[in-house]
Order: sequence, then structure tokens, then C-alpha cells
Amino acid sequence: MTTRLLAAILIVCTVAFAGDWEFDRIVGAIESQYGAKRTHIPFMGLANLAVKVVHPAGASGFKLAVFEDLKSSRQDRIELDRFMNRISGGGLQQIVRVHSRRNGESTYIFMGDAGKSTKMLIATFERNEATVVEVKVNMDTLLKMIDKPEHAGRSFNGKEDW
Amino acid sequence: MKNAIIMWAAVLMPLAAQEIRLPANLEKLAAKAEESVDVTLSGSMLRLAAKFISDKDADAANVRKLIAGLDGIYVRSFSFAREGEYNMADVDAIRAQVQPPSWSKIVGVTSKRTGDDVDVYFKIAAGDKLGGIVVIAAEPRELTFVSIAGTIDPDQLVELSGEFHIPRIQVNGKSRGRRGPR
Repeated sequence: MTTRLLAAILIVCTVAFAGDWEFDRIVGAIESQYGAKRTHIPFMGLANLAVKVVHPAGASGFKLAVFEDLKSSRQDRIELDRFMNRISGGGLQQIVRVHSRRNGESTYIFMGDAGKSTKMLIATFERNEATVVEVKVNMDTLLKMIDKPEHAGRSFNGKEDW
Repeated sequence: MKNAIIMWAAVLMPLAAQEIRLPANLEKLAAKAEESVDVTLSGSMLRLAAKFISDKDADAANVRKLIAGLDGIYVRSFSFAREGEYNMADVDAIRAQVQPPSWSKIVGVTSKRTGDDVDVYFKIAAGDKLGGIVVIAAEPRELTFVSIAGTIDPDQLVELSGEFHIPRIQVNGKSRGRRGPR
């Protein structure tokens, strides 16, 4: 009985923490696949703290990784899809995939449960660059932004509070 | 065991029946397309989204109710650099899946001037509800499919008209929704 209880607690804990590993796992996979290290962005911790306090547009925290000079100079769409399918999963589900041959850009949007809020992870690949952003966002506020996207700009500029 | 299999088959068959399958040729169009968009909101994802929508605001509460009945929302869109990059036979393969008696075509717009061809299909479900909506928009350089699977209450759709970019719906000549026409 105790073993079963411990196993159940372990499973619950694993599921709860799995979501937090997604960003690091995806960033790590990009680093090893493309032989690139994420670019250091100064004051990122400070910006994250500000977001956690102010909650602009319903966001309650974010993580950002920017990669430059990816070794694979030209992305193959199918290969990139396979790569993203392989490294995603767990607590995040892919909801949007956009490929543009016009500007050589591919975008993937993932969504997952993050306790009291929703987690969104956006990965964008350009010819030699990639960006991964993870945002914890309030779904109500997100819906309001979808309804009135013009207000989002004002909110980000601090002229309007959601 | 046999009974369990029959029971599971009975549960899963209606779900499978709602699924609109894209022909393999259409999936290959993504390679030709200048831009391709794939939106997949599965039932579990919609339920997750609904969980975080507050029911304090009337519109948000309506969205929550509407989402609760859905099994998935799927969008596939392809933009091409030139005309004639896709075959109409592939589009017809989808149209063949949304035929009566299960489905009814409620809107069909064909423009000779622009070459646009837009069809909207409703799946009739029990109790005056919709069992799904399919939109097929074939333009000379753009092809879009939208499939909304699940139970949809038309009254809730009308209530939400004019909100969340849902077009304003006229009922008995009167515009529904809270704000002026958009």
C-alpha cells in the first residue's frame, strides 16, 4: 500500500515538474542539433522579475533563448517538423505550425498546463537563427487580447491595464 | 472481453466519424506552398483552455460552454506563388466526405470574377445541435480548410456573434450581440 502511495506521489510530482523541463529540453535539443549556443541577453532576469510583478497582458513569467549562426544554413521543412515533433511532447502540445518559403521562416506554437495559468512556447526558425520563448499567461487575458489585439499594444506600453 | 470491445467500438466510432481526413496529396502541397499554416486544437487542448476561462464574464462563460462540446478545431491553409499549383480533385476528395445525409451545405459562394469558391457545411446532430462545421475555401492561389468537430449549440454561436472575431449573425432580421455592427 505504501509502495503504491509512494509510486502515485512520484508520478504526480513527475507530471507536475515535467512542464518546467520542456523549455530547457527544447533549448538543449536545438543546441545539440545545430551546434549553437544560446546568445546571452543581459538583464533578462530583471525583465523576468518585472513581468512577474507587473503581469503585462496577463503574462506571469517568461523564458527566452536566442540562437545565432545555426550550423544548418537552410532548413528543410519536413526535417524541421520531424525534429520539433521529436523534441516536443510531455506537458506541451503543438497547436500551430507555420512555414513560409517567402521569408524562410518556420514557427511552432505549443501550449500546456502550468498550474493556475497556461504555458505557451513559441519556437521560430529563420535561415541561420532561432528563437524560443516560453510565456506563462492568463487565459482570460489572452482571450481579451485575441478579441481586441489593438489594445495589447497599449497594454505593453503601460497605457492600459488588462 | 467481446462486450468490452463492442462497447469501446461504439464509443470511438462516432469520434472517428467526425474526423475529416485530408488526402495525402494535400499534405504534400505544403512542400509546394509559399506559406502553409497548420492549426491543431485537439479536444484535450480545448478542455485545458476552457479550464482557465473565467465564468464571471458573460462572453467568456459562453466561450467556455461552446468549447466544452468541441472535440477539436483543425485549420490547414496553403498560399501559393502561382495559380494552378493545386488540383481541384484533391479539394473534391474532401467535399466527398461532407455529403448528405450527415452533412448539409449551407453556404456556397462561387465567384467567376475572382475564381474564389467557398463552401460551408454543417453536420446535423440530435436536439437541434450541430455535430460539426467544415469550411472549404479554394482560391486561385490559396486553399484553406477549417474543421470544427464536436457538438455546437447554434444559440451559443449567435450569442457570441460580434465577439472574438465571430461575424455578427442576423436572427429574424435583428442583429445579435452587444455592440454595433463591425
